[in-house]
Amino acid sequence: MADENQLLKKAFSGHGGFGVDEATMVAMVTKWRRQPDQKSRFRRDFSEFFTTIGSIEKCEDDYLLRLKTEFSRFKNIMVLWLMHPWERDARWMHHVMHKSYPFTVIIEIACTRSSEELLGAKRAYQALFDHSVEEDVAYHIKENYSKLLVGLVSSFRYEGSQVDNEMAKCEAKALNSAIKSAGSGKLIQNEEIVRILTTRSKRHLKAIFKHYKELHGKPIEEDLGANLCLQETVKCIDRPAKYFSEAINNAFKEGADKQSKIALTRVIISRADVDMEVIKETYHKQFGIKLEDMITKNTHGHYKDALLSLVGK
Amino acid sequence: MATISIPNPAPSAIEDAEKLRKAFQGWGTDEMTMIDVLAHRNAAQRKQIKIVYEEQYEEKLLKRIESEISGHFERAVYLWIFDPVERQAIMANIAIESKVFDFPVIIEIACVNSPNELLAVKQVYQSLYKRSLEEDVASHTTGDFCKLLFALVGTYRYDGEEINTELANTEAKILNDAITKGQFNDNEIIRILSTRSKAQLNTTFNCYKDAQNRSITKALSTETPNDFAIVLRAAIRCMNNPKKYFDKVFRRTLQKSGTDEDTLTRLVLTHAEKDLKEIKELFQTRTNMTLEQAVAKKTSGDYKNFLLALIGN
Repeated sequence: MADENQLLKKAFSGHGGFGVDEATMVAMVTKWRRQPDQKSRFRRDFSEFFTTIGSIEKCEDDYLLRLKTEFSRFKNIMVLWLMHPWERDARWMHHVMHKSYPFTVIIEIACTRSSEELLGAKRAYQALFDHSVEEDVAYHIKENYSKLLVGLVSSFRYEGSQVDNEMAKCEAKALNSAIKSAGSGKLIQNEEIVRILTTRSKRHLKAIFKHYKELHGKPIEEDLGANLCLQETVKCIDRPAKYFSEAINNAFKEGADKQSKIALTRVIISRADVDMEVIKETYHKQFGIKLEDMITKNTHGHYKDALLSLVGK
Repeated sequence: MATISIPNPAPSAIEDAEKLRKAFQGWGTDEMTMIDVLAHRNAAQRKQIKIVYEEQYEEKLLKRIESEISGHFERAVYLWIFDPVERQAIMANIAIESKVFDFPVIIEIACVNSPNELLAVKQVYQSLYKRSLEEDVASHTTGDFCKLLFALVGTYRYDGEEINTELANTEAKILNDAITKGQFNDNEIIRILSTRSKAQLNTTFNCYKDAQNRSITKALSTETPNDFAIVLRAAIRCMNNPKKYFDKVFRRTLQKSGTDEDTLTRLVLTHAEKDLKEIKELFQTRTNMTLEQAVAKKTSGDYKNFLLALIGN
């Protein structure tokens, strides 16, 4: 009896983790058929979900909301899986902007997609929302971040192999001077930094970051300090697999917030057909555990199965 | 409407290539034949001639032309052979790399073209120069000019007809607030001009006129010369009424002392296969002279004959 209660509690996400264990729930429905007392005992045992008021055990509103989120994870991942990648990206960007969530999503999409993919996302955005993504970003995002973000989102970078190494060295030096001269709070508005990060090709930028480390003895991220937007921009351009691997890990951390958790679905869906193998390797190296094992440990039900299939065995 | 006249049926590309070959052979060059052929073919036909000429005679048509003729005539014929998209990419690069950055060229390309036309120019630019148009504009300009031009060139506007009148009124007011304070480089002006769709902007300009009893370009006219305001006005005019804008540029170019062949060439070549007919009509209404007469007064020789052939003589 007690075991069954535990099992069902876990199925309803009573022990944390992502998603719900649909199979167990249905199994219990069968087992406890015509046994209202059984259910009654369960409700009294499940204090996170139910509070006894008088002679009934009432649902907690908070928990109902949490359940809604957990039940939706499978629905979300399936719908997203079917959607065209451009529409996915467009919807993610739109969602973030209009709810004033941190714009890491915008930076992620603007910097990790190819020029063609980003253009496609922008076209989808226009078709869906009758606005360009640039105008919405410029309008909704606070002025000091807006230069960088509008620049990143409107970029249509050269994707060929040609790199001007001399210019890259020059710009590595220019970045260093800009970082030294601007106050740390002002880095994100610095014209040189924004120009270089938002217009140069990714190959060119990788060359810049390499020269930066050679010339100044440390990676540019160290000099960017607490500037999360700039850090993220650099990471997404220079080492996207590491960025994604860390985003996944943040989702699994104790006390992760809603936005961090949503990242799990987003990263796995958007990268499943692109660079999942590299991400898995990076994850394993960085955190000492296989991504598949982490997913198996921390997620439930159909959501778990979908994730494992996307991640590939 | 275009002003170039194409014979119907047009001779085949082989015939044309042969005619040109004959024009190059022997002493000197038969410029009349060159003009006869090239000034009366559309972009697709010119492309074919280029291909066929190279196949037949194993030399590049452009290289031959460069060695046969010279001066303004040569420059005009050279640029004319390209299709409009390539030509704009080439002119953009010339404008960027010249000793003094040629702002009107970039403004015109960024503001007159539809979003997809601008995108096409950017794609060709990348394949020609192995860098993006944005990165070249950004690295060759500074300060306010950089802010404005980079924003205008980098954007991918919503192309539809949906407008929001309330928003237009609000943004007309924002524009007015910045203009009355004399803050032409205000971030809000740049945001609105560079991100909103053309339909939305034209609504905004109308709201501005209704509210302030004068057009926004009038409001941006300053007593003391202000280069930035000039560029701003040009951008607005290009978006609002391009034909009127080009009529004005023609008049300015043809009425000042001396002759600015580079600008004249650009104007005629860009519009001859597009909308020179309407611009001609405006020109005649404003000056009581036909465009042909005005151009004939200012130019001579083969260059003159070539321009007149394109203008529709």
